[in-house]
Amino acid sequence: MLFPTATFAIFFMVVLPVSWLLMPRGERWRPFIVAASFVFYSAWDWRFVLLLAASIVWNQLFGHAIHSRERPRDRKLLLAGAVAGNLALLGYFKYVGFFVASTNNLFAWLGVDVPLEARSVVLPVGISFFTFMGISYVVDVYRRDFEPVGLGTFAAYLSFFPHLVAGPIVRPGELIPQFGSPRDPRYVDTSRAFFLIGTGLFMKVVISNHLASSIVDDVFGAPNRHSSLDVLVGIYAYAVQIYADFFGYTNIAIGIALLLGFQFPQNFDAPYTATSIRDFWRRWHMTLSRWLRDYVYIPLGGNRGGRLFTSRNLLLTMLIGGLWHGAGWTFVAWGGIHGLALVAERWWRDRPGYVEKPATAWSLAWKRIATFHVVCFAWIFFRSESFADAWDLIVRLFTAWGEPTELVTGGVLLAIAIGIGSQYLPTRVPLSLMTRFSRLPVPAQAVVLSVALLGVHALGPEGVAPFIYFQF
Amino acid sequence: MADDERERRTRRPRGRVGEGGRRLHSAGSAIVVSTLALVLSALLNAPGLHKSATIQPEGWKRNLALAFTEPLESASEALFLDRPRRGLKAAIGRSDDDDIDTGVAAPEQPPATEVPAEPLPPPRREAFSPKKQLRLWIAGDSLVVVPGQSLLRAIGSSPVIEPVGEIDGRIASGLERPDVFNWFERTREVMREERPRAVVLMLGANDDHDFMTGLPEGTELDGFASPTWTAEYRRRVAAIMDSVTRGGAYLVWIGLPITRDPEQTARFDTINSIVQTEAEKRPGRASYLDTYFYFAGTDGGYAQYISDDSGALVKMRADDGVHFERAAGDRIAREVLKQLYQRHDLTSWRRATG
Repeated sequence: MLFPTATFAIFFMVVLPVSWLLMPRGERWRPFIVAASFVFYSAWDWRFVLLLAASIVWNQLFGHAIHSRERPRDRKLLLAGAVAGNLALLGYFKYVGFFVASTNNLFAWLGVDVPLEARSVVLPVGISFFTFMGISYVVDVYRRDFEPVGLGTFAAYLSFFPHLVAGPIVRPGELIPQFGSPRDPRYVDTSRAFFLIGTGLFMKVVISNHLASSIVDDVFGAPNRHSSLDVLVGIYAYAVQIYADFFGYTNIAIGIALLLGFQFPQNFDAPYTATSIRDFWRRWHMTLSRWLRDYVYIPLGGNRGGRLFTSRNLLLTMLIGGLWHGAGWTFVAWGGIHGLALVAERWWRDRPGYVEKPATAWSLAWKRIATFHVVCFAWIFFRSESFADAWDLIVRLFTAWGEPTELVTGGVLLAIAIGIGSQYLPTRVPLSLMTRFSRLPVPAQAVVLSVALLGVHALGPEGVAPFIYFQF
Repeated sequence: MADDERERRTRRPRGRVGEGGRRLHSAGSAIVVSTLALVLSALLNAPGLHKSATIQPEGWKRNLALAFTEPLESASEALFLDRPRRGLKAAIGRSDDDDIDTGVAAPEQPPATEVPAEPLPPPRREAFSPKKQLRLWIAGDSLVVVPGQSLLRAIGSSPVIEPVGEIDGRIASGLERPDVFNWFERTREVMREERPRAVVLMLGANDDHDFMTGLPEGTELDGFASPTWTAEYRRRVAAIMDSVTRGGAYLVWIGLPITRDPEQTARFDTINSIVQTEAEKRPGRASYLDTYFYFAGTDGGYAQYISDDSGALVKMRADDGVHFERAAGDRIAREVLKQLYQRHDLTSWRRATG
């Protein structure tokens, strides 16, 4: 059930009033929202619901078991069991084919025949997201940052449909306390919610889909058929497409949760205005960055060792982050490029005698342009299906200048300009729009929203492509 | 605590403000605004919603959607609320987006005779060169996209093959439902305007259902693979093949692959056999490329990972168990190119230019 569809609109218009009606009585609201979330998830495949339910039960059992033990060794063993279970689930559904094929090919390269069979497994939507949330729950309980809650509350946390299939990755401490007390129906931030949903739909349906069908798919599909300018703009277009797609989805998710009375953490903060790769990761998929920092980088030792040790941890964290996005070596390469860039930045900053110079407009512009291009370079590997494809694209980028350009149109350039330009808008602009909207009478608000929906529906291509991050 | 609860129940909402001074509203207001906005936007987008409902797969959901959108569209027209959408569509050059076209345009058939007509003899093998390029159109449903991209990459900067635009891949389309996308019209249009001399098609993956639109008057279908269904589907395949071959192009029709779902594979076999027999009626003009065994595992069944030519185990099929990964596209593209090179002379110009 995709957000920008009539089916979801009908589903949500049933869930929204019922949720508010049941809100004062948590013992009724929780089963309702879990059931609604299961219905939402079963729209892809009802069997996925069994998997989600199994994940809920598994993490809940281990959460309570860890909490009830005092001996550190017992707690650690139980935590290891809980995390191993989550990773086994993820590994089986997402990585088994990839690892078997890689192992086979490695041994074949060494001249050893290992007849392993790469099984065909259906990848359940959003498994990476709810698995990571399950891990964060048991780890937080282990660290005594969080006490386990009842099954109903935990089930509501893990399955809550606004974040279920593509995040944001919400930590237990951010959402579960909100489930503990009824939301006040008198004060809902509706104008922010509608603004987020409207901009999210526009970015996904109009900008992302337009760029995908107008240039990105063609350039990445057969780069050797296109000029260097087409390829260059195609890479920029993909950078905007993936941002618009994921930012759009996240905005809709946050807006929907807000209408239900719940706050989700921010997931994007104008990432293409970043002045370094470290800055980029503070702005891009922020909930994943936090997750990787708190559950991978810090447990690995973080920056508590020397420069080499810290560099190793940074690189490992980003490689794992890359692999999380997809079962392929190109994703690992994407993570590796970001990891190396982070390491390089750290070494540059930590060199003897380095003093941060005061920022000027020119230095900021230069840093932003350089960061954006490093990010775009990494996107080439993220989008390409193989290293050979990525290499073809990079070669074409430098060898076909002067050939006729077919894909760079006014519409493509406008969509790229909107995707990047919107990140440079001062925050007062959306705030002012939301404030004005909030002061309109109810019928006028409805008219404004319906006109926005008209624009999105009419300007978007026919049909709605799935969100890119669903596959992760 | 009890006082707080009483106050909560009885007091009218105070004008509390959020960040930036924006006014917070009640949940009731959120529900009313959402409902009104959806109703109004449904009226404004009624032509598009009606088309979306029409092109859904047959079933109760489609019937329900039609029962809702047909009166909605009438009301929208009566209130002139469809005008902004039509204006917007016209402004971006997509006026016909909301049109529902169910016509099955088939080339006129020669008059029937008592003796079955012999197939036309194969046309002569034509030579192409950089001065006389082989124009190639690649089209079909979503399955054609990956092999099409592989084909374009394989052609590379070949001076002798000139693709007609990008890959014409239309998601969820097929021959059963011209209302979703009218391939009959599209084929005629491309043959007329672009004059390709080679066409690579892959269609049928969305056609394994009981329901068709654009049926001739009085025709009723008895369900997928029934004699009536088969006759009508055969007519449609023949119409596409005739449009292409009579337009002077050589057609390579890529057969549907084995899929993870054995029942779906069996349905695809039915479609493949129709396409194959129709292609055989047009020797030298149309060919059918059987892909089944390219993607079968060692046990003859579906496999997601298959060894490539170098012996490496590679992912051939997408996670949905139907679509292709790049390696699979490359394999199909090689076979398509082989057929094009067999059918046409695409290399002698090299010797001539020496």
